[in-house]
Amino acid sequence: MKRLIALGSALLLLAIVAAWWANSRQPKPIVLIPTLTGKPEYCLTCHSDLPEISKSHPIKTFGCVICHGGEALALNADLAHSTMRGGANPSDLSVVQESCGGSSCHSGTAEQNNNHIQRVLTSVQATYAGAITNILYTYGAEGDLTARFGIRAVADAQVTTSTGVPALQAFDPAGASNPAIQKFAVNCLFCHLNAQPLPGPQFDRLSGCAACHTPGIGSLPPGQIHKLTTAIPYTQCNTCHNRGNYDLRAMAFVPRSDQPQAADRVQNYYQPIAQFTKCEYELDCIDCHTRTEAMGDGDIHSNETQIQYIQCRTCHGTPTQLPSTKMLTDPNDIAFRQAQLNPVVDLELGQTVIVTDKGEPMWNTRVLPDGTYQLVGKATGQVFTFRPVMGSGCTQNGIDQSSAYCHTCHAVQR
Amino acid sequence: MRSNAEMSNLSRRDLFKLITTALLAISGALGLGALFRFLDYQTDPPLKTAFDIGPAEDYPAGSRSLIAEVPALLIHDQNGFSALSLVCTHLGCTIAQNGTGFACPCHGSRYDADGNVLRGPAQKPLRHLRVEVGSDQHVILHTD
Repeated sequence: MKRLIALGSALLLLAIVAAWWANSRQPKPIVLIPTLTGKPEYCLTCHSDLPEISKSHPIKTFGCVICHGGEALALNADLAHSTMRGGANPSDLSVVQESCGGSSCHSGTAEQNNNHIQRVLTSVQATYAGAITNILYTYGAEGDLTARFGIRAVADAQVTTSTGVPALQAFDPAGASNPAIQKFAVNCLFCHLNAQPLPGPQFDRLSGCAACHTPGIGSLPPGQIHKLTTAIPYTQCNTCHNRGNYDLRAMAFVPRSDQPQAADRVQNYYQPIAQFTKCEYELDCIDCHTRTEAMGDGDIHSNETQIQYIQCRTCHGTPTQLPSTKMLTDPNDIAFRQAQLNPVVDLELGQTVIVTDKGEPMWNTRVLPDGTYQLVGKATGQVFTFRPVMGSGCTQNGIDQSSAYCHTCHAVQR
Repeated sequence: MRSNAEMSNLSRRDLFKLITTALLAISGALGLGALFRFLDYQTDPPLKTAFDIGPAEDYPAGSRSLIAEVPALLIHDQNGFSALSLVCTHLGCTIAQNGTGFACPCHGSRYDADGNVLRGPAQKPLRHLRVEVGSDQHVILHTD
């Protein structure tokens, strides 16, 4: 009996010492109480070396947990990370509503210009509806090119355009009898914003918002840094676009043979077969293509041509018409918010900028007093000046404005 | 008189008893220490809502003083002291002075000198904070 008591007391002491030791090994927590939540979180205890993700999301205001989830008060890494949303990518579209949503954040209204999530979820970049529809039509599984399937099911309660469709079902290749369609499902469904990313840390942030807004820098692979930006360089767009071709016979993706990236931008920008003008490789994609084109207009479209509307004439006009412009007179114009997020220009009330056919201000442009135009690169800050077509020697029919017509005379040689 | 064997047995028993007692005593002491530590645990203090920003004489009439700690702008005019919160009403970023008004560095909201919204996305004007001058003539800003 006495021996049992002695053994018990020894074990008790051992347990207490072990508990003290374990407790003494816990790091002293660094407490952050973000303004937005008012709730303490200890994430900075281990992550104080991370750079601020963007000036729109300062850590003192947002903290970490509101976007990433996780156990705010845990000091054990496994426990702290156990309930994180989306793993390394809280912007993955499967969790984006919880991570980035909210009426004051990114799931507001079209009127407030902050319905980003609804637009992206219905955009062709997320649904992949164009490719799925084309494949189904090509192999006789559908009778026309109207989209009925996307990578995931999605619905649009308010169709506002003539090409919008109300809903897509989730594409299920199990029901397809054609082996080409099944192969397409196996090989070609990884590269869209709503797809399950390929395995590997280099693919972790190539879905959802991060796929575009978290560009890699220097030698780091895309998405491996703590950063969100609207200054998206063409190299990030090329992470998905211009990086290869689909071989429809093998139903497989064939990467470009001239990669890794050439040092020369003119060689690097497009695939070797592509034709383009000087401005199409000197500028970054986002200098011309609008957020509506990239992130959608809120409607579900059957293919990308239904949402692309920027053409050469948007900035250059036609032989008979100058580009559309407008003077910024409303301090709440979206142009100011966009310029504030990416301050490459000092936009002021009274300034005249080019507008798209949909009336969107191209906030990085301005009309100069001599009738020429200026564009500032959103990713580079580089200043470009250009003239309108009107008054030049161009005799192109004003109606024929697809890029192929302009390339006939203005394509660069490589 | 005890034999050597008896002495040895007794010593071992005493030693055994002593060790057991010592183990229990140390365990008890450590356990009590842990208990006191548990009972004495202090939660994080509630968020501070009253800020003593020093003597009123440091803020002469006509002054507009940035109080970064709050953050707020303390205004001393002919009507006495008043204060504007410098927390943006959109998402809570700390705004900065911009000309005669204020601008939010996060999403670009602008406010005039009185805190009224000039440009969104903020919809509400800046909060006016309660200012009190204590009996020691110190200025207290209240954020609640």
